[in-house]
Amino acid sequence: MKLTVGYIDIHDIQFSNESKVENGVLYVNPEDIKALASEDENFASVSVDIARPGESVRITPVKDVIEPRVKVEGPGGVFPGVISKVDTVGSGKTHVLRGSAVVTAGPIVGFQEGIIDMSGEGAKYTPFSKTNNLVIVCETKDGLEKHVREESIRMLGLKAAAFLGELGRNVTPDEEKVYETLTTKEGMEKYPNLPRVGYVQMLQSQGLMHDTYVYGVDAKKTLSTIINPTEVMDGAIVSGNCVSACDKNTTYHHQNNPVIHDLFEQHGKTLNFCAMLITNENVYLADKQRSSDWTAKMCKFLSLDGIVLTQEGFGNPDTDLIMNCKKIEEQGVKTVIVTDEYAGRDGTSQSLADADVRADAVVTGGNANEVITLPKLDKVIGTLAYVDQIAGGFENNTQEDGSIVVELQAITGATNEMGFNCLSAR
Amino acid sequence: MDLFILTNNEWVRDRMGKDYQVDYRELSFREILVAARDLIHEGHRLLTHPLSGSVKPQETPYKSMALTKSKGALDLRSLELIENAIAACDKFIVKFPNMPDGMRDDFRLIDYCLISKAL
Repeated sequence: MKLTVGYIDIHDIQFSNESKVENGVLYVNPEDIKALASEDENFASVSVDIARPGESVRITPVKDVIEPRVKVEGPGGVFPGVISKVDTVGSGKTHVLRGSAVVTAGPIVGFQEGIIDMSGEGAKYTPFSKTNNLVIVCETKDGLEKHVREESIRMLGLKAAAFLGELGRNVTPDEEKVYETLTTKEGMEKYPNLPRVGYVQMLQSQGLMHDTYVYGVDAKKTLSTIINPTEVMDGAIVSGNCVSACDKNTTYHHQNNPVIHDLFEQHGKTLNFCAMLITNENVYLADKQRSSDWTAKMCKFLSLDGIVLTQEGFGNPDTDLIMNCKKIEEQGVKTVIVTDEYAGRDGTSQSLADADVRADAVVTGGNANEVITLPKLDKVIGTLAYVDQIAGGFENNTQEDGSIVVELQAITGATNEMGFNCLSAR
Repeated sequence: MDLFILTNNEWVRDRMGKDYQVDYRELSFREILVAARDLIHEGHRLLTHPLSGSVKPQETPYKSMALTKSKGALDLRSLELIENAIAACDKFIVKFPNMPDGMRDDFRLIDYCLISKAL
């Protein structure tokens, strides 16, 4: 399966009477976004704002971040099974408005949304301080169930990203890259001497407001399976959760999964990137056993030499992480874990809530308990009403000078467990 | 069904009590984990993860877990999970000693959703 990705570089975003992409500027008519919102009767109000890199702007409470993309050749459309029909995506050609993002904001479950600062100390920790963001602040009607609000805001974000992506359909990309996955036989014949490496991605699937969707299917109800990495680039995996901001895999993270990109970068050079597997993180212990047994079985079946394993979340998923690692290693497949840590504010506590001697190769995205002070910024998109309640906040954490003390947990994408973040010991 | 729910969440007691055996106790988050550990030592097995949900220990006051009604030999995996959960709990600060009611309801809801969808 081969996908050409055409990157259209966006270096500014502006409001305009006409939505279009011209000379690297994304022009948006806010009425177009409000028209999308009007299709859903659950919204009481929707406002649209812009946040650019370097501006003195704080966005909170952030739910999801989505990159605008459009399929210009090949079967299917972006976000299959959710926005587009369920056709298999991942081949043909896709255009990306690189450097732009849709950010959805608004309260759903007060304590599970994040902060994006466009400048200052906080900006160093989130990748979305470097994107030109169209921010949609959503207020849903009173009396709605929380998970109904979540679905409405999720869908509006995806619709808006698809709408903006469409503006790039006829624009000539600044750069094109080709990503190709070979069949098992082709790969073995072409790279007989390179190690066979796979990627096992664990998807958040603990229940309502902790969900991830694959071609529109709730991952909680799936068995571990195989997906082409290029399908993921076309939005086959969509975030539907309200979890801690620092290690939430937003839809943008899925679209730009760095493990996939790095493995493609080494494909044919140092390794043969054979397969991507997806599995879930359910709460019921028997589900964990079934899913991890299945993942290990497939790694063996595919004759893999090694895998990279990533998770989403803390606590319950740590158990899936360790079960997967242990069982895959027992099949003779070397395993490297990518995760983050909850090691206490001083960093001295055990990082994960589970452990095994076979988990001997671990890459960390950082300590989510680390404390930072975010300076007062000039403008807030959304509301500061929840900065004490969100994961990483605490009672009375706003100082007299307007600065806010939080753990990194509160910053969207700060300790991402796929490695899409800025923290480094270097 | 060989399971019962151990909880400190009134919503789980009130909404799931008709369909499941519910052991409700008025305890803190840490105390309910310790109560689960005692039950595990008595021979019950854990059926759901004690750190379910993205909400961190001490941030939420509520936790519900399913355990087997039947008792057998000490299940070491259950013991390991609950000991790890208690250790994880001890590294988080109690975020809101005086938690507002609205926030309390959000946490009750999340805990209720997680246990009801898991079973």
